[in-house]
Amino acid sequence: MIVPRLPVSAASLVLAFLLCTSIRLDAQQGTTPVAPSASAVTESELTELASADAAQTDISEIEFDAIVRVEVDTKQPNYRVPWNIGGMGSGNGTGFLIGKNRFLTNAHVVSDARLIYLKAVNQPQPYKARVLFVAHDCDLAMVELESEDDFEQAFKGIRPLHLGDVPKLNTTVVAVGYPVGGERISVTRGIVSRIDFRGYSHSAVDNHLAIQVDAAINPGNSGGPVLQNNQVVGVAFQGYSGDVAQNVGYMIPVPVIQRFLKDVEDRQYDYYVDLATSFLNMLNPAQRRAFNLPNDGSGVMVVHADAAGSAGGILKTRDVILSIDGHPIASDGFIEIDGERVDLNEVIERKFSGDTVAIEIWRDGRRQEVSVTLKRFIPYLIQAMQYDKQPNFVLFAGLQFQPLDRNVMGAHGITDLRTRYFYGFYSEDEIYRERPQVIVLTDVLPDSTNTHLQGYKHMVVDTINGKKIRLLQDVYDAFYGDFHEEGKEAYHVVRMIGENRPLVLMRKDAKTAHERIDSQYNVGFDHFIEQPEILQLKNLLQPNDAKAKETDAIKEGVKEAHENPSTPAGNAATDSPSEKKPILSR
Amino acid sequence: MISPRCLTVFSFLFLALSLPAVAQKSSPAKSIVRVNATLQDYNFIRPWEKGAPVSRRGLGALLEGNRVLVTAEMCANSTFLELEHPSSGARGTARIVGSIDYEANLAVLELVDKDSKALEGLQPLALDESVVPGDTLEVWQVEDNGDGVSTDVAVLRVDVGRYFIPDSVFLLYQIKGSLQARSNSFTLPVVKNGKLAGMLLSYSSKEQTANVLPAPIIHAFLSDLADGKYEGFPNLGVSIAPTLDETFRKFTGIEDQKGGVFISKVVKGGSADTAGIREGDVLLSISGKPIDSRGNYDDPKRGKLSFSHLVRGGAKVGDTVSAELIRDGKPLSLEVRLTRKNPQDFLIDPYMFDRGPKFLIFGGLIFQELTLPYLESWGDEWTNRAPFNLVYSAADPEKYEKEGRKKLVFLSTVLKTPSTLGYESLSSIIVTKVNGRAIRDIRDLAAALSTPPPDNALHTIEFESYPKVIFVEDRLSRMVDQQLIQYGIGQLMRLD
Repeated sequence: MIVPRLPVSAASLVLAFLLCTSIRLDAQQGTTPVAPSASAVTESELTELASADAAQTDISEIEFDAIVRVEVDTKQPNYRVPWNIGGMGSGNGTGFLIGKNRFLTNAHVVSDARLIYLKAVNQPQPYKARVLFVAHDCDLAMVELESEDDFEQAFKGIRPLHLGDVPKLNTTVVAVGYPVGGERISVTRGIVSRIDFRGYSHSAVDNHLAIQVDAAINPGNSGGPVLQNNQVVGVAFQGYSGDVAQNVGYMIPVPVIQRFLKDVEDRQYDYYVDLATSFLNMLNPAQRRAFNLPNDGSGVMVVHADAAGSAGGILKTRDVILSIDGHPIASDGFIEIDGERVDLNEVIERKFSGDTVAIEIWRDGRRQEVSVTLKRFIPYLIQAMQYDKQPNFVLFAGLQFQPLDRNVMGAHGITDLRTRYFYGFYSEDEIYRERPQVIVLTDVLPDSTNTHLQGYKHMVVDTINGKKIRLLQDVYDAFYGDFHEEGKEAYHVVRMIGENRPLVLMRKDAKTAHERIDSQYNVGFDHFIEQPEILQLKNLLQPNDAKAKETDAIKEGVKEAHENPSTPAGNAATDSPSEKKPILSR
Repeated sequence: MISPRCLTVFSFLFLALSLPAVAQKSSPAKSIVRVNATLQDYNFIRPWEKGAPVSRRGLGALLEGNRVLVTAEMCANSTFLELEHPSSGARGTARIVGSIDYEANLAVLELVDKDSKALEGLQPLALDESVVPGDTLEVWQVEDNGDGVSTDVAVLRVDVGRYFIPDSVFLLYQIKGSLQARSNSFTLPVVKNGKLAGMLLSYSSKEQTANVLPAPIIHAFLSDLADGKYEGFPNLGVSIAPTLDETFRKFTGIEDQKGGVFISKVVKGGSADTAGIREGDVLLSISGKPIDSRGNYDDPKRGKLSFSHLVRGGAKVGDTVSAELIRDGKPLSLEVRLTRKNPQDFLIDPYMFDRGPKFLIFGGLIFQELTLPYLESWGDEWTNRAPFNLVYSAADPEKYEKEGRKKLVFLSTVLKTPSTLGYESLSSIIVTKVNGRAIRDIRDLAAALSTPPPDNALHTIEFESYPKVIFVEDRLSRMVDQQLIQYGIGQLMRLD
């Protein structure tokens, strides 16, 4: 059975830790997954493995200079105090040369990086590098030295590593990198223990093929190659902490690496695609009889195809899918590829945005063939860790508004049940249709004008001044534009979902309070708004309420006072009134 | 804001005391009875089972008519109750008189065998309801050898607070004084001038303060019980927000009023709802007593007290109180006939004692009606640990109430059987329909499953969320049920 998307708890991911070492100068952000703690390493295993096939452990053709130490200075954005610059820290991982001035490493090694340096074993000097592509959904990144001259000088004649294949179970592999315990390069050895789908803890929401090995893989190994017979068979990336398991490390296998490399060939990373469909196994004879299907052990039942997913509107609840791209589907949801039994999603895993997949379905007692064009599933991003981004917020008269996401939930320690519902069921209950962004009152900076409003923190905003809040931009527009509740022109009125007591401020007081609070709380800038990616789903979103015209007019007035930071790539323009560049004001 | 309701486990023991009204000078050893209780809770995860029996020892206060007052908590899910003479040690089996009130945390016991010597020579206590802040009271205890001990404590303030059931508040005395744990526990009679002033509920040894369940509530409980038809304490059925915020007062049009509280929520079918009080109204007074902007009124003897005491402090179900309100800036007077919503009247029972959770097993599928105790069986952290869809439905049941549901029926777990092949990992899913019939409570479910659908004898069970729908065979499920009984599951359903 394929596990349904289970949004509320991240419990299954808690046990995974990432393997780059990290020193944080500022401990305020409790949410970053980078764990510097080393797991216990047992020494007893290695001797027994000495007799393993010598060819597998042969790394004689590998030049250690192709395996670099990645040193990173980071700046972690502060979702608790979003106008602050964020905590400075540093960490290191491993990377390796895969082509001319192309180094592969983990996304989590270079996430939120301010400065990146690469250092080879036999070089005294670190070289400044930058990220070319980063794939947070599969924890891979490609890095290059900023200066071609540096590369020519430092890596002249060094041969890049070559990718191998998926190693067989119980074969020996060698992990090379710069883990904790010393400065120089380190080599550890172990066997392939398991090949399975598993959560990638960097984003906290993605599942891909991963290979479990029992080689000692420790913080600092992240991004380093795992080798067999002089070829790369994986990238070391996460471990398993806790008391229940021992000698468990994970590497990203070659199919995932190759997919990443192919995806970026067009110099842009387009993310994994997703059917965004949940299935129920068809093992039960009564269930098979209900669908008039023979007891031949084939097919799984469609439970729900998310409207915003690739199969939305194509697959329906109670369809039975029989095959995918010609691979017959067993009643437990597995298919056979290259002689291996794998999850049916493996077909999707190997595809790219815009590809199609042919699905044979059983609907109303008849076989049918449907074609699904694959795309990224955007609503799940609300639960994904965000990196390399500046927190979006609006601060008005001490009221701090932020769009709900995983970082905001963690930074503010939100436990309000209703807000947890909006977070957990955003995809499943298609909350995004009505509220593409769920805006939360995350903080109230105390001031004489708002001192009674402290108790309303962490709730979801419904309307402000009569304007329905669908996007963060609406918060800004509602306060600064010509919006008011009928007969309450003298007030700003904020209404929360599930709370009948409105939050009210006198307009005339709010303006002076705003300035006073900004100065007293050292607020560098009072809002930062970007277009969220969810707006790409414009056909699914309910139209904004009236008064769009007025909003446009207000924007003109607002814009001149602001400078525009760069727009993040990939944001499609939409027809909503928030079609505008992000605003950063001082 | 929806705040998680937590059942705080009191770190103190509870004793009950009794004091009757007799002219002679009472003393600890003469009016206290030991109470030995055996309690056995129901298992909410395996609803066909009960848990391990536990014993509890406490104290009760002897009242007129050879009745013994104890806290309800002493008798919750009791299987055996016994009274014991403090000095002679004579014992007699006891039973509960009339009803237990778990909200008011009170119960009255009597001996089954009237010839028992468990109460021999003891003197009943009368009630004293005159306690005000600053009074000195005595806390009574009994040593192992039967000697009485009395400790002086001071009344710090009179307030309202929770007794035993999380969302239920009543009048409380807060006292200060140093108490020692004796043979039983810390639920002890508290006495003023030889009369029962209340029962000590909880004691903080760190702060040296304690809460006392006061005589006025005991009095109301006893007089309700006296007519043989116990109705319980009425409830207004509103949530309020204070109106200290001057801007908010202006906005609501009450800046010229003295106090008043904002009605932020009105419980469907409660007293306030029936009387026509609406969310957004401002409540100015009840029974002519003005309510300040924090929600307190001025009690002539006790000082500032939450207005909830005006409803729960002595008024009875069926009484009418007057309410002054402001709606849309205009004054409004309403007569509120006080009613009580029993735990069974809620979509999700807020508590459940002395009866087991309702459930139905069908072919290994275990269905239950959702209750708060079910969620609380996940432990103190249940709002984080229990299945979130169930936690949220308990916190925000309106959607389901509007659908006309009486209870929330859900598939709690699945036993692995031939009938449930492939469904083993399902759990905690709310049931919507069975064989096309909407399921409003467990009886609906039992009825829907009672006869096999004529066309194919397959039952269709639909859920609110994943996996949306499953099918089970009628005949196979019934065979499996018989096997489950053979394996020792004592009963396949509890519908009442």
